[in-house]
Amino acid sequence: MNIELRDIQFSYGPVRALTGVSVSIGEGACGLLGPNGAGKSTLLRILLGFLRADRGEGQVLGHDIRKDPYAIRRLVGYMPEDDCLIPGMDAVTFTSYFGELAGMPRQEAMKRAHDVLYYAGLGEARYRMLETYSAGMKQRLKLAQALVHDPKLLFLDEPTSNLDPQGRVEILDLIKDISSKKEIQVLISSHILTDIEHTCASVVILNKGAVAAQGELATLRQIDFSLYEIRIKGEGEPFIRALREADCRVEETEDRVLKVYLPSGFDRRELFRTAGRMNVQIRHFVKSRTSLEDLFARTVGVD
Amino acid sequence: MPIAEQGYTHWEGRLDTHRKPWRPIARLGIRLAFRRKFFKFVLGMAFLPALIFSAGVYISERIDDFREMIRNADRFLNINPDFFKAYYTADYLLFWMLIIMVLAGAGLIADDLRHNALQLYFARPLRKRDYLQGKLFTLSFFLLLLTLVPGLLFIVLKLIFSGSFKLLADYPWLPFSIAGWSFVAAGFFSLYTLALSSLSRNRRYASILLIAVYFLSDIFFGIFFGIFRDPTFALLSIKSNLQQVAAALLGAKPPFAVPWGYSAAVLAALAVAAGWILNRKVKGTEVIK
Repeated sequence: MNIELRDIQFSYGPVRALTGVSVSIGEGACGLLGPNGAGKSTLLRILLGFLRADRGEGQVLGHDIRKDPYAIRRLVGYMPEDDCLIPGMDAVTFTSYFGELAGMPRQEAMKRAHDVLYYAGLGEARYRMLETYSAGMKQRLKLAQALVHDPKLLFLDEPTSNLDPQGRVEILDLIKDISSKKEIQVLISSHILTDIEHTCASVVILNKGAVAAQGELATLRQIDFSLYEIRIKGEGEPFIRALREADCRVEETEDRVLKVYLPSGFDRRELFRTAGRMNVQIRHFVKSRTSLEDLFARTVGVD
Repeated sequence: MPIAEQGYTHWEGRLDTHRKPWRPIARLGIRLAFRRKFFKFVLGMAFLPALIFSAGVYISERIDDFREMIRNADRFLNINPDFFKAYYTADYLLFWMLIIMVLAGAGLIADDLRHNALQLYFARPLRKRDYLQGKLFTLSFFLLLLTLVPGLLFIVLKLIFSGSFKLLADYPWLPFSIAGWSFVAAGFFSLYTLALSSLSRNRRYASILLIAVYFLSDIFFGIFFGIFRDPTFALLSIKSNLQQVAAALLGAKPPFAVPWGYSAAVLAALAVAAGWILNRKVKGTEVIK
């Protein structure tokens, strides 16, 4: 396991930010998902040793998060959520500077800075002053500085914030490329579901400081939910009410398709029986692929 | 913009775990200071006293060349601890040292706070101590250029122009005093500057703070001294305390009738307070409680 946390608890004064967080994150790209204020950034900061957990223990790449944060930081690249720069520098100097601080020899850091800036798509702009960079370029720069010392694990905090759609796709493609072909494990914290869906094979969903769900996306989709799309003819309201009384979650889309989440153990034939009782005809019945949005809505309890 | 043109390649080298991470920080601080507007001019101005005093050393040994100017004196200048005290306690030098701190130091931490750079620093295997050492070295570099280097240069020039070691024979402790005072001044000013820089996210406010605290302390001393005629109020003034300690370390008479140990204690207390502020303000992440 790359990251193993057990019963992590953390409070900002009287405000409990994380409660009993236990996660195991293995190979590949993993999404850290949750609404704003769920504790994602706090968890990343605990993993980096910026914050000290009030309770619990954990390891990152085999190093204890309490005892050995410096060894962890040597192996980890961190792309923060906020805009970060040092005024008066160009991108090459900036990137090589942080490579040096990670322990790279000066000349190697400079050479490597050129490489990662090209990789991040800033090759042409690498001698420009950072103050003149657009929001998208600053995101790329943050990714480049996180990669400069060739980390084993990348922590990306909201990597697509402030980006236009094209820039978002390009950054996500880069992340996908890094995590799938470059033997670098990636942990992406985001509240944008499609970003996680685009890049990650596994996910940890945080809600109100606790783990709401975790595991392989494909497994979570299969095991936890059975989602069916139904079109009906007849009076819909009593049918929907009856399904909800049977613990099904029902959503009606704009084109009058009912998305019905069946709880585990619920026999799908019961849908037809209920329809029969309510004098409703089922005209369309398809098992749907649970999207991350569905999963998120179900676990976090929001629409 | 095209991406991944060259593709990602792994780095084959090994990270150095026994390095001194404050070095790149200090190097960058010095380089960025030289890029600031007017910095080279200010640094040049700060070297003026050193040039004048160097000329003084020369004139003191070439008295015959200047006989017309100083008819009745056998010496135009005596190179002794008072000479060094005059250099180190000159208002002019202290003023330009302060201006250099404003230009090179006001933004050292304020800029990092403003642009959220601290989390990038501390995402590296970097201790708070390393970060502060790097910043302190940046400032100390400039301050030692104005204190240690000229002081030792005066001694060397004196030895060269006089052709004898009499100065060192008479005052063997002088080089150590100069070094001691230079490090005290550099350490104090650096801590003072960094602490005030860490109190603001805006380099301009930090600059104003640096100048205001320094001069207000001196103005208060002037007011209280004017009213009560008590030299003890010199302890209120940063400048006066620096002058007291400089004089004492150089074996000269302190300018105010206050035990110099008190001044040293005031400076030490300010340095401790600065260290406390830095410890509180410099963090990898800002926690709002």
